[in-house]
Amino acid sequence: MRNRYIEAFEQKQIEGKERPEFRPGDTVRVAVEIREGNKTRIQNFEGVVIAIKGRGAGKTFTVRKIGANNIGVERIFPLYSESVKGIEVVRKGKVRRAKLYYLRGRSGKAARIKERID
Amino acid sequence: MEFIVEKIGMSRTVGTKSIPVTLLKIVPAKVCELKGDGKALVAYPRGKKLNKPIEGLQKKYGLSKEFNRFVELKVANSETGDLDLSPLNDAKKVKLTFNSKGRGFQGVVKRWGFAGGPGAHGSRFHRAPGSIGNCEFPGRVMPGKKMPGHYGNKKVTVNAEVVEFDPELGVLVIKGSVPGHNGSLGRVRIVK
Repeated sequence: MRNRYIEAFEQKQIEGKERPEFRPGDTVRVAVEIREGNKTRIQNFEGVVIAIKGRGAGKTFTVRKIGANNIGVERIFPLYSESVKGIEVVRKGKVRRAKLYYLRGRSGKAARIKERID
Repeated sequence: MEFIVEKIGMSRTVGTKSIPVTLLKIVPAKVCELKGDGKALVAYPRGKKLNKPIEGLQKKYGLSKEFNRFVELKVANSETGDLDLSPLNDAKKVKLTFNSKGRGFQGVVKRWGFAGGPGAHGSRFHRAPGSIGNCEFPGRVMPGKKMPGHYGNKKVTVNAEVVEFDPELGVLVIKGSVPGHNGSLGRVRIVK
C-alpha cells in the first residue's frame, strides 16, 4: 500500500478520466494530440499493447506497430496523460504473458496473436 | 511565513507536460506565544519525547502531550492557537530547509565529484584524491582542501516552486525533488 497522501493526490488527477480496459496483447488505437506551432491536431497510433507498467498517475502502456518499410515502432504512453485524447480497443488478443517483448524478435506470421473471445 | 513540514514522497502530474512533484505534509502546529516582529514560539508533535522542561512548557501554554517540540517561526497569526495556514494558498515560491540524506564516510569521487582515474591499462590511479598540495613551500595543506569525509546529513536550503496546496489534507505540492528522506521534517519559508 502506498502513502495515503500520494494516493489522494494521484486520485484527484485521475478522476474523471475515462480509460477503457485493455490488456497486453490487445490491439488499440490511441488518439494523441500533437502540437505543431500553434495548431493542435489528433494523430492515431494503432498497434499491439506489449506492456502495461506502473500504477496510479504514473501508469504507462507500450504500443508496438509495424511501420513503413517493415520497421517496428514502439511508443510509450502515460495512460492518464492529457495528450492521450482517447483509446479504442480494436481487437482483443489472447496471450499468456504480461510483457510481450518476445514480439520484437518476430515478424510476419510468427508475430500473430490469437483473438480472445470472452 | 514559515511552516514545519514532513516529506511524504514523490509523484507526478498528468498534464501534457508532466511535472515531477514532491508532496509535503504540513505538520499541525500550535502558536504558543507571540514574540513580536511576526515571530512566535510554535509547538509541534514529533515522536514521544517528554521530559520535565517540555512538561513545564506544555502546562504553561495548555498543550496536549503530543506537542513536545518547540521552535521559533515567523507566523501569520495575530493571536495564539492553531497555526494559520492561509498564506500557503497563494504561495508561488518557497525556500525549503531539510537535512540531506546521510551518506556516511565517502571518498572524493562521490563527495566532491572528482573525476577519478582510468580503471585499467596499468594506470594505478583509480579513485584516490591525488596530490593535496605543493612542496616545502607552503609546507601545509591549504584550508578548505576537498578531501574524503562525512557526506550528507547536513542542513540544506533549496529554492522551489509550489504547484498547488491542498488545505483539506494540508499537503503542499512542490515541483521537483526535495532533499532528505521521506518522513523527515523540514521547514518551508514562503518567498513569494
